[in-house]
Amino acid sequence: MFDHKFEYRLSIKKSMNNIKTKIKMKSKLTLATTLIALSIVSFAFTNIVQKTKPWPVPEKNAKTPNPVKSDKESLATGKSLWNLHCASCHGKTGLGDGSKAAQLKTQPQDLTTSAMQSQSDGSLFFKISEGRDDMPSFKKKISDPDDIWSVVNYMRTLKKS
Amino acid sequence: MDFKTKDVKLTINIGKRLLTTGVCLVACLLLMQTTASAQDTTAAAKDAVIPAKAKPVKNTFQSIWIIDNQTVMVPVKGTFEMDIQHRFGTVNNGYSDFWGLYASSNIRIGVDYAPINNLYLGLGFEKYDELWDGSAKYAIIKQTRGESPVSITYYGNLSLDTRADPTKSLFSHYTDRILSFNEIIIARKFTDNLSIQVSPSITHQNAVPGYLTKNDSTGRTIFEEMKHDHFAISVAGRYKLGDATALLIDYDQPLTKEPTNNPNPNLSFGFEFSTSGHTFQLFMGNYSLLNPGKNALFNTNSPFDYTQTGGGKVKGGKFLIGFNITRLWN
Repeated sequence: MFDHKFEYRLSIKKSMNNIKTKIKMKSKLTLATTLIALSIVSFAFTNIVQKTKPWPVPEKNAKTPNPVKSDKESLATGKSLWNLHCASCHGKTGLGDGSKAAQLKTQPQDLTTSAMQSQSDGSLFFKISEGRDDMPSFKKKISDPDDIWSVVNYMRTLKKS
Repeated sequence: MDFKTKDVKLTINIGKRLLTTGVCLVACLLLMQTTASAQDTTAAAKDAVIPAKAKPVKNTFQSIWIIDNQTVMVPVKGTFEMDIQHRFGTVNNGYSDFWGLYASSNIRIGVDYAPINNLYLGLGFEKYDELWDGSAKYAIIKQTRGESPVSITYYGNLSLDTRADPTKSLFSHYTDRILSFNEIIIARKFTDNLSIQVSPSITHQNAVPGYLTKNDSTGRTIFEEMKHDHFAISVAGRYKLGDATALLIDYDQPLTKEPTNNPNPNLSFGFEFSTSGHTFQLFMGNYSLLNPGKNALFNTNSPFDYTQTGGGKVKGGKFLIGFNITRLWN
């Protein structure tokens, strides 16, 4: 009889302890969730900041005229280079929906919009050549500057009409 | 018995072989000239519109490799490259080793760097023979409209067998471990999609196996199983299927007739997939080694059936699966 009582008490104590630890765990969980949520929010926030981070182009570069005529040959070169070097992130048609885009910290911008297309040839050339953050520099990857100008020419054909 | 197997010779009709190679080369040259003249007219028409200096043709090949051979390509100054190459076992065992994929494989890991324009230096290590190799590649002439119909590149490779040999049973002298390979690569980009290259080469081995056939008071004669210098030629081509995919084919033909142990030719074919920083080549071929000189001298896998000197017929079709991966940083 005594033994039973003792066991009963023990079990109550145990269950109380269990509840306590559960509460403790719960509070820990809440804390963890809050932290994760906060970090997601802050990450999302930095993402927003990165999206709109301006990319200044020196005036001299922005004003450089495109020396390569946008003819059939230049567009063919540009298209071939676009498919090899650019399409995996920027997408086949420049929408920023390439297969690698989702893994990037910076979402590639939609290059078909008039806001993007209003940039000068010189600005696009500068950005392709120099790169920034996730966007690599293509100075050596496309070693002939005329070929980068051809890519710029091809990018013009991506504009939504 | 041992002596007999050593002395087995492969009957390869050297005359026929030279004739075939000759015909191939002449055909290539003829093709070259017709396209060259066709391109010159368009070049002239364009020059009339924009008087600009002609630039060398770009991207004759996408990688420095075309399966088992070097291409004419020398990457731009400042390029750093890493190569990973695998050759699996031959497919002949079928399912038991999954067509060679689970057989013992050969691996080479290499790095290359372009310190100045037109020069590429490389260093690599191959599993088989624990072979280190150093290489240098220099672009001598680049195919340019109105200037040169072909691109010409020199490639040299020096390899060192670093297997432990405490009893000196493999190498009597340290220099016996060294093998040199020199080749001239002549290539032409015929159209945007088709590029072909021909590369004659010479491989020199410092030591060859041999034995005494006469050793008495009148003197000694030594029978050398192989010659020290071995000539070979390879023809390789690429056909682009799209901006990132291409078909590759490569054929290597030994030219020097060795006293014994004649090496076999190599026929390989496969695909190339490119991205901005990588090229990936997946193919089937006969070469299992990952050094151009060793392959030229010691290839035992034959693509074709052949008859040995003793009349024994040897089945060909000894193909294996392999891949080359390159990563470029520039």
